[in-house]
Amino acid sequence: MKISKDAVRASRLLLRACFDASGRLHTSRVKRVVKLVGEKKPRNYMAILHSFQRLVRLELEKRTAVIESVTDLSGEMRERLRVDLQKKYGEDLTLNYFINPSLIGGMRVKVGSHVWDGSVQAKLQALGESLA
Amino acid sequence: MSSILQEIETEIAGLKTSVTKSNVGVVREIGDGVAKVEGLSDAMLNEMIEFPGGLFGLALNLEETEVGCVLLGSGENIKAGDEVKTTGRLLSVPVGKGLLGRVVNTLGEPLDGKGPVKADQFYPVEKLAPGIITRKSVSVPVQTGIMSIDAMIPIGRGQRELIIGDRATGKTTIAIDTIISQAKQNKAAEQGKLSGHKPIYCIYVSIGQKQSSVARTIKILEDAGAMEYTVIVNASASDSAVSQYLAPYAGCSIGEWFMDQGQDALIVFDDLSKQAVAYRQVSLVLKRPSGREAYPGDVFYLHSRLLERAARVNENYGGGSMTALPIVETQAGDVSAYIPTNVISITDGQIFLETDLFYQGIRPAISVGLSVSRVGSAAQTKAIKKVSGTTKLDLAQFRELQAFAQFGSDLDAATKQKLDRGARIVELFKQQQYQPKSLPIMVSSLYAMQKGYFDNVPVDRIRECQGKLEEYLTTRKEALMDKLGNEKTLDNVESDLKTALEDFKASWK
Repeated sequence: MKISKDAVRASRLLLRACFDASGRLHTSRVKRVVKLVGEKKPRNYMAILHSFQRLVRLELEKRTAVIESVTDLSGEMRERLRVDLQKKYGEDLTLNYFINPSLIGGMRVKVGSHVWDGSVQAKLQALGESLA
Repeated sequence: MSSILQEIETEIAGLKTSVTKSNVGVVREIGDGVAKVEGLSDAMLNEMIEFPGGLFGLALNLEETEVGCVLLGSGENIKAGDEVKTTGRLLSVPVGKGLLGRVVNTLGEPLDGKGPVKADQFYPVEKLAPGIITRKSVSVPVQTGIMSIDAMIPIGRGQRELIIGDRATGKTTIAIDTIISQAKQNKAAEQGKLSGHKPIYCIYVSIGQKQSSVARTIKILEDAGAMEYTVIVNASASDSAVSQYLAPYAGCSIGEWFMDQGQDALIVFDDLSKQAVAYRQVSLVLKRPSGREAYPGDVFYLHSRLLERAARVNENYGGGSMTALPIVETQAGDVSAYIPTNVISITDGQIFLETDLFYQGIRPAISVGLSVSRVGSAAQTKAIKKVSGTTKLDLAQFRELQAFAQFGSDLDAATKQKLDRGARIVELFKQQQYQPKSLPIMVSSLYAMQKGYFDNVPVDRIRECQGKLEEYLTTRKEALMDKLGNEKTLDNVESDLKTALEDFKASWK
């Protein structure tokens, strides 16, 4: 779908309206924006909504930590991770845990576009590249 | 033994704790050698981005939610959804003396099958030009070995002299002749002949040319024994537009290394109009706004920042230099097109080659009226300056009178004499390709012309006479030529030269 510059600009303004003074994204506001745009149908409303969806997705990714590990993490471990990551990225960070056996060992944490990779797989890859 | 074990142990301990922090993104769109990547929030402008499979890209467009990357290689195996990483590095090329005699691509990888390149260091491709404090004005000549250039449009070390002309007018030939001439002088200096000669190392950057023409150029340089002082950076017509756009900068970094070591370098960009076209393509697929002739707005800066890197550095900073010979191709002799005017205004003069002259048999086909060198005369050797002082004026007057003389047959003696002299100078300046002349030979020929030794030689036999004179001087008057080459002034050798010329004239029929 072709999204015009005007649509991108409008969706950016709409996204800005969904933040409160402390810079937190409000789900209720996002829902209201989508509903209102759907009802009033301004020009290019489909493009605006698509662009808005993308911006919200990126925004949510920034506030979501994806934690991959080979085995299920213990409650204590999860608590330590939560405290550390929320100290770094703010209180509204949500943590999602996944099990990924291809890591072989260790853990991989991804928040937005930042990645901390302590997995055996990454080390093996780095070793392979340094030998190549 | 135990120390090795300890080392391994610490190594393992280091591995255990190492967690790599990186910044990643996801490929959303790919095509035409450009990838749009979502994420990469920490990417810097011109940073190298690592793609899967060891491929690298350059971050050229940083947008709000996306990064536009150009790929430095073929992106056939990259697909939407692939994860990419920032590297924190700028694009760099290997530099050093190990590159001499080699043919490399834009990334400094060998193309000649002679094994890996031995590099002393790595230099970033985009580098800031030397500032005002470090610079010095041009004072030492680059002897091109082409008589018309050295006499009328002298080039100094650290100068930027544009070679401009239509297709097939001999632009590349002038550049190659200059490289061969440098190699000859470097060799002579190594044999202890030219006193005080600082060698010049050459870099030939070919952009968007046919592989066959590059192969031919390499063959010519090898046959002339010039390859050992030359580095060839090749981004051929079949390479990606990105590597064609970056090749001059890579070549420039290789040349800068020599300059930083206090040595002299000469770099040929063959040619910058094709580089501008490659850059236009990259800019358009990156969706940058286009301007005149669809070139992006920064096409002037593209060339100015490249040519600013050619400089003469003063003694406190090593005293090296880099001379640039950019080449630009015109369409139907139109020097007022966009790219030619840009590059003309950046450089310190131009050598303009004309198709008409070329087909009249005047080769090199240099148009005397339109060619200038703005700073080179300060670097001309005393001997050449003395014998060529009025040549440009004589030729200009000749051209003017030639047009005038076509209408009337009755001419006064002074006019006729000027016409005769002009016709002889034109003949004298004709030169075979790939045969640059040495300084003393050029000085002697010009001296003979100035003092009228060629006046009673028929115009159509001038070249024959000149050839015989050169043969006579190199075989019979070697000592005189060596002395002239070392002293670079006529003061002590003028009388000897006079007798030699008289001896020759007496024997020539």
